[in-house]
Amino acid sequence: MSKFNWRSFLFWTLIAALLLYMTLPAIVVIMASFNPGEVLSFPPNGLSVRWYIKAVTYPDFQIAFKNGIIVAALASTLALVFGSAVALLVSRYYFTGRGLLETILSAPLIVPHFTTGFGFLLLGAHLGITQTYLIIVMAHVVLVLPFVTRAVYVSLQNIDPNLERAAANLGASPIKSLWRVTLPLMLPGMAGGWLVATILSFTEFSASLYVTASRTQTLPVAMYNYIREYTDPTIAAISALLIVITTLIMIVANRFLGLRKILAIESH
Amino acid sequence: MQNRVVFLLFLLPALLVAFFFVSALTEIFQYSFREFIPGSLDVGGFTWANFARINRPIYFFAILDTFWLAFLTALFALLLSYPLAYALVRTEREWLRTLLIILAITPLFTGEIVRTYAWTLLLGTEGMINTILKGIGLIDTPIALMYTRVGVVIALVQFAMPVMIILLATAISHVNSDYEKAASNLGASPGQVFWRVTVPLTMPGIIAGFIVICAWTMSAFATPQLIGGGKILMISNVVYLTGFSALNFPFAATMSVVALVSAFVVLALMKLMTARIENKIAIH
Amino acid sequence: MSIVLNKEMQAVEFVKVTKSFGPMLAVNAVSLSIRRGEFLTVLGPSGCGKSTLLNMIAGFQTQDSGEIRIEGKDVSSMPPYKRDTGMVFQNYALFPHMNVRDNVAFGLQMRKHPKHDIDTEVAKALAMVKLEGMEARKARQLSGGQQQRVALARAIAFGPKVLLLDEPLSALDKSLRSQMQVELKELHERTGLTTIFVTHDQGEALSLSDRIVVMSKGEIQQVSKPLDLYRHPANGFVASFIGEINAFPVADCIVANDHVRFAFGENITLRAPRRDGQPLKTGDKVNLFVRPEHIAVAGQPDNGDPRVTGRIVTHIYQGTHTITRVTVPALGLVELRVEGGDIIERRPVGSDVDLAIMLDNAVIIRS
Repeated sequence: MSKFNWRSFLFWTLIAALLLYMTLPAIVVIMASFNPGEVLSFPPNGLSVRWYIKAVTYPDFQIAFKNGIIVAALASTLALVFGSAVALLVSRYYFTGRGLLETILSAPLIVPHFTTGFGFLLLGAHLGITQTYLIIVMAHVVLVLPFVTRAVYVSLQNIDPNLERAAANLGASPIKSLWRVTLPLMLPGMAGGWLVATILSFTEFSASLYVTASRTQTLPVAMYNYIREYTDPTIAAISALLIVITTLIMIVANRFLGLRKILAIESH
Repeated sequence: MQNRVVFLLFLLPALLVAFFFVSALTEIFQYSFREFIPGSLDVGGFTWANFARINRPIYFFAILDTFWLAFLTALFALLLSYPLAYALVRTEREWLRTLLIILAITPLFTGEIVRTYAWTLLLGTEGMINTILKGIGLIDTPIALMYTRVGVVIALVQFAMPVMIILLATAISHVNSDYEKAASNLGASPGQVFWRVTVPLTMPGIIAGFIVICAWTMSAFATPQLIGGGKILMISNVVYLTGFSALNFPFAATMSVVALVSAFVVLALMKLMTARIENKIAIH
Repeated sequence: MSIVLNKEMQAVEFVKVTKSFGPMLAVNAVSLSIRRGEFLTVLGPSGCGKSTLLNMIAGFQTQDSGEIRIEGKDVSSMPPYKRDTGMVFQNYALFPHMNVRDNVAFGLQMRKHPKHDIDTEVAKALAMVKLEGMEARKARQLSGGQQQRVALARAIAFGPKVLLLDEPLSALDKSLRSQMQVELKELHERTGLTTIFVTHDQGEALSLSDRIVVMSKGEIQQVSKPLDLYRHPANGFVASFIGEINAFPVADCIVANDHVRFAFGENITLRAPRRDGQPLKTGDKVNLFVRPEHIAVAGQPDNGDPRVTGRIVTHIYQGTHTITRVTVPALGLVELRVEGGDIIERRPVGSDVDLAIMLDNAVIIRS
């Protein structure tokens, strides 16, 4: 007959409570998105999908969605190419100024997004490109690059160094060795990094608020503008969609790429 | 010879990105010293006036508030994230670990706006929290959570937890569970094992997590903007206000510089403290 | 006058090669010739420089000074992928994203062999290592022993000039190891490839090699055939490193017409008949090394071997034989090898025993 372990019970109750705290926002949003009326009530007195229909057909959101997809696709692909190059650079070559370069490229993680966004707004004004996708993509690439670099770098570090020596020993020139041995093994890290970059770019808000113009605004910015004017649950519907889609992507990514590897968490 | 070409091929993209980023920051620095011409986007000549303006109470307190809220957020995020991170690393059930990872990490990717909006639904006087508390009879009149520091911190802490969990989990996973088993074998109760073995060995991660969240929270914008509603001002909100409402780019730039410098100071502090702690416990 | 290719052309030559890593001297002015078709083992403790030598042949390290020649040609400026050496790494380094066939075919593809030829050559290489039909398996699915064979097949498939083996058996368990040693030797006999094998296991070296190079601290201590190495170690290091040996402390030499006496402290002397050409003189200080199999429990009749008395400290039973350790005054702890295990009962721990030391095979090194 086993003794009731009250310590364990308390611990797991705490964990459950904390998980509730962390997921409560998502729960509320999904609940509110089905609210039949304009004014939210808890609990909702009925179920309706009218806000979903409104959200998906709202012209501002449609344009913003399109803008967001274009920017995210461009930014994440550029970040993938650049980030992989940086990861390869940093893991293979030692040169003067390397530390400085690394610091500059990882600084966007520390510099507030609104500062980066503001800076690119000013830069864009100087270059006359404030109404274009270009300035948004530039800002986003800078912001998501550290994530891609890290994911690719981690997967590079996990490649047995003897593999490249073996390739060289068997007659492969450095470029052949990169193409046939290193790159295929980097692919999971690159895929993970690209995915992270895409999501981060699509949902990025603080910097985008500065570098987007009304024609080029991305979805988060459009949502912000809507919230400032209206209080109906349209935003809840769009948010619920975003939450569900992101969660699904994360689950799929974990299944195929192993989130743990990308985030470098080992388990004991 | 092939090596040289390959090296340059890798170096060029890095230089390109670095160049544009530095240019953007340089613009801010440059603007922060320029004179503001009201009603126009043109700027005048060199001046210290913007930096002097920081001393005005409203801006000065915004800076203090930024540090204070960041500190509170980091503290509570640390306390609440540690159990989750610990469970995540040490549990033997894979399904639980996967569940924890997904639940902890996914919020990171839904974006500031979605998460902040969700909290407005929770914190309002007719919001879910108040409704539930009234419903189960704990309160008669709704608690004011929106437009208060408490509300902002509650939301900010929930924002910070995924990142804190990742950082703590990494640190905990680097501590071999054999140490804990050895302490237990030698007679230590679970509480003693925790305070005398686990916490000291994860201290670098704790400090890193605390300071990263501090720096990260100082740059929060949507939360103080929407939940603070203009009553809670952090540096980010001041920049937005002065930049977009008053079109005072120079001063907005100045406050951005303040934000930048604060973030870097906080981070330099972390490097110092972690270096010292890591020497003491000899773990990478 | 035409230039005739020398059949005895050296496969690999080191000419006064030195390599340092920062302040550490890994290889110190090493000169060595490796003959075509021979199986040469570089043997030594970790840190002795043996892996560095191998890496320099393959081209993964460049020497600081001196020349390295492969088949007569100086390769110092040649990058690894042009050197035509086949290397088997300690952890096999099989490409995890390729199957067995693609792994083995890699070297052939780099040399642009026609596709239909490659399949035949891959099959041939796999047959050589007794892995016929395994082409489709993924590297990850194979056992340690199988991975090792694939690594071998991959290294020989394209016909390298030299086969380099970097402690390839160290990751295998004991029985698999012995089996692979036999197969390696057979493979060498079948292919006739010049093979350079690096290990710290002296038993392995003795069983596999045509010649052994013993290294310590970046310098070559001795280069000999296994038998010579065992019987006539050149110095104290080699004597202790190869096989088991008793190292007796320094003794004084008293040389007479027909015998030599080694005087240790406490009135213990060992007397051996004078060997022809023995260069010892009275007053020389020497170290004496005697193998355990050359010490026995003294029996009748007395055949002239010097005798000492000591107390038994331990018996280490090994099945076929027993190693018995005896403390002998002035000589210290002496190990002798006795057949079977009867001695454990007949002469229990703590009892005194007389030992006969056969000095005919002793190694005498001037200190």
